[in-house]
Amino acid sequence: MNAIVDVQNLTKVYGDTTALDTVTMSVEQGALFGLLGPNGSGKTTMIKLLTGQVRPSGGAATVLGLDVTADPVGVRSLVGIIPEQETPPSFLTAEEYLRLVGAIRKIPDTEEQMAWWFEYLEFGDKRDVLCKDLSRGTRQKLMFAQAFLHCPVLALIDEPLINFDPIMQETVKEYLAGYVKKGNTIFISTHILEIAEEICSDFAILQRGKLLSTGRVAEVTGAGRHLNEYFLSLIRKGGHV
Amino acid sequence: MFEFFLSMMKEEWRIHSTMFGSLSFALYPVLIFAIAFMGAFLLPLIRPILPFGDLALVTHALFLLLGLMIGAFGLLMNEVMERRFGQSSSLAYAARSLPLSERFIFLNFVVKDTVYYFVLWVLPFVAGFAVAAPFVGIPLTVPALLLLTLSLSFLTGLAAAFFLSIVYTRSKWLFAAVCVFIAAAAVAAHLAGTGAVALFLPLALFRTFSWETLLAACAFVIVLAALSIALMRPASAARAKHHRDMLTPLTRRFSLFPYPALAAKDCIDLFRSGSAVGQTLFSFLLPLGVIWFCLSLLGPFLPGYSILLLFAVLTGVIASTMYIWLTMFDSFGPYACLPLSVADVLKSKICGFAVLQLIPAAFIVLVTVLAGEAAYLLPALVLCLSVSFYGLAVTVYLTGLSPSVLLYDPRVFVLYLLAIGVPLVAFIALSFMNPWYAMMSLVLPAAGWWVARRGVAKWDRKEVAGF
Repeated sequence: MNAIVDVQNLTKVYGDTTALDTVTMSVEQGALFGLLGPNGSGKTTMIKLLTGQVRPSGGAATVLGLDVTADPVGVRSLVGIIPEQETPPSFLTAEEYLRLVGAIRKIPDTEEQMAWWFEYLEFGDKRDVLCKDLSRGTRQKLMFAQAFLHCPVLALIDEPLINFDPIMQETVKEYLAGYVKKGNTIFISTHILEIAEEICSDFAILQRGKLLSTGRVAEVTGAGRHLNEYFLSLIRKGGHV
Repeated sequence: MFEFFLSMMKEEWRIHSTMFGSLSFALYPVLIFAIAFMGAFLLPLIRPILPFGDLALVTHALFLLLGLMIGAFGLLMNEVMERRFGQSSSLAYAARSLPLSERFIFLNFVVKDTVYYFVLWVLPFVAGFAVAAPFVGIPLTVPALLLLTLSLSFLTGLAAAFFLSIVYTRSKWLFAAVCVFIAAAAVAAHLAGTGAVALFLPLALFRTFSWETLLAACAFVIVLAALSIALMRPASAARAKHHRDMLTPLTRRFSLFPYPALAAKDCIDLFRSGSAVGQTLFSFLLPLGVIWFCLSLLGPFLPGYSILLLFAVLTGVIASTMYIWLTMFDSFGPYACLPLSVADVLKSKICGFAVLQLIPAAFIVLVTVLAGEAAYLLPALVLCLSVSFYGLAVTVYLTGLSPSVLLYDPRVFVLYLLAIGVPLVAFIALSFMNPWYAMMSLVLPAAGWWVARRGVAKWDRKEVAGF
C-alpha cells in the first residue's frame, strides 16, 4: 500500500504551547482514517499542517508525495478540505460559491457536479440564498460539496458530521464509505468515537499534541473492545501506552 | 435590564481594546482633549483665514460625519467582526438566545452608542476647548453651547445612519425617495436664500441660540431614532432573500484579470453588502466634500491650480483607502481550503482596486471642470492616481489582507503616516512651484510597484489564520 500522507517527527509550537510534539504516522491509500483526541489535542493543527496553512516548527510532512511546506498550494489543489468552522463567503449564494470553487479549481463539469450535490444533500432549494443566511447544517452541506466538487483522491475533514441531523449523517457516512471503496482516501478528525468506530478503517489517537496510539479499528473491535473504551483507557493512563 | 445596557458598554470597550490595545484606546480621549486644547490656542491665528462661522460649520459637519460613520459601522459590526475574527457575535444579536425583543436590544444599542461616543469624542473635545477658552479670550458660554450643539450634531448623524439603513432594508425605492427628498429640501433652501446649511439644526442653534431651534433639533433626533426603532424589522421576520447568479456573468466580464472569479466575488461583496453605495457616499464623497469646502477657504491665499492639486493629493489618499472596502468583509478563511496563496488573493484585490480607481478619476475630472481649472486636468489626474496607487502599495506592505484592523495599530499607523506623508509633502511643494511638476509624481506608482511586490512576498511568507 502507498502512503498518501506521511508525517515524520512533525512538531508545531505556538508561543509556549506545543500543539503537536514529534508526531510520526502515515495514512495509506484507500483508508478512511480517523484522527481522534480530546479537545485541544492537536487534531485541527494536524489538518492545518497537512494542508499547508501553517508551517511546521520541526519535522516534515508529505501529502500525495508533495512536501506541504514547499508546495502548500499544490497540496490544496489535489485534496478536498472541510474546515471545522464553516466559512463560505457571506455575500455569495450557495450556487455562486460552488461556481467560485469550480472556477478556481478549474473543474470542467462544475454544472453537473453542483446539480448532483444539491440533489444528494437535499439543499437545492437554498442554492440562491446568501451563505450568511444559511443555517449551520446547510453551510456544512455546502462545505461538503465544495470539498468533493473536483473528486479529490484525498479529502481532509475536520469534524465531518457535527452540524448534520441524524438522517443527513447517515447519508454522509454512506457517501464516505462508498468514496473510499473507489480507492480514494478520507482523513477525518473527530472526538465523536462512535462515528469513528462505525466508519473508520484506521485511527490515530492524539493527546496534548503527542501520538498515543495508531492502528486499525478492526484490531481493537476484534479484541472485543469498543474504540471508546480503548480511547478512554489510553487517555486515563495519561499517554503511557 | 440596566445590566444589559452595561454589558453592551463593556462589549463596545472590549471590541476596541482588542483591536487597538487597552492602553492605546484608553488614551484616545486624552488625545482628543489635547488636540482640542492645543487647537484652541491656534484660533487667533486661524481666524483671519477661516472665519469663526466657517470653523463652526466644519466642526459640526465633522461630528455629523462621525455620527453617520459610527451608526453605519455599528449596523455592520457583527458581519465585519465575523469575517475578521472568525465566529463571533455581539450582544446586538442576543435576541437569538435571550428573552429580549430585537426592538428592546436596538433601543439599548442606540443609547449605548450615544453614551459611549459622547464620552469618547464629544466630551474630551469640548473639555479641551473649554480649558483653553479663558486663555484665548473665549467666554465659557461658547464651549457650553458647543457641548450641546456638537452632541446634537453627532446624534443627528447617528440617528440618520440608523434611519437611512433601516429604510434601505425595508425598501430601496423608499430609500431613494428619502434621498431625493433630502436633496430637494437642500436645493429649495438654497433657492430660498436661507442656504442648505440652515437645515442643519445643531449648527443653526450654535449660530443663534433659541429654545425653538433647540426643541426642533432634539425632536429631529428623537423622531428619526423612534422611526428607526418602529420600522425595524426583526431578523426572524426578514425573509431569506433569493439572488440570481451574478458570479458567472461577472467572471466573464473580468476575464482579463489574473483571477476573474475572485474579482467577481469582490464585486458581488461590494454590491450586496451595500458598501459600493455606502462607502462611496460616506467614506469618499462626504469627506471630500468637507475637504473641498475647507480648501476653498484658502482661495484668497493660493492660486486655483494649487488648491486643485492639493485636493487631488487628498483625493488620492482617500481613494487609496478603497482597498479597505475590498478587504473589510474578507479573511483568508474561505480561501484556505482552495488552491490559493495569500499572494494570489492580494494580487486579485490589487486588480479590483485598480478598477475602483475609476471613481476618483471621474471625480477629479468633474471637480477640475467645475473649478474652472480644466487646463490642469492632466497633472491633477496623474497626481491623484499616483498618490492612490502608492498609498495602496504602502497599505498592502504594512497590513496585508487586514488593513481595517492593522491600520489601527499605533506602530503600523505611524509607519503608514511616515511612508505616505514624506513623499506627499514633497509633491505638494513641487506642484505649488509649477503645476506641471505634479507629473513627476509618476515615480510614485513605480515605487509603489516595488513596495507592493515586497508586501505581497512578505504576507505570503507569513502564516495566516485560515480555519
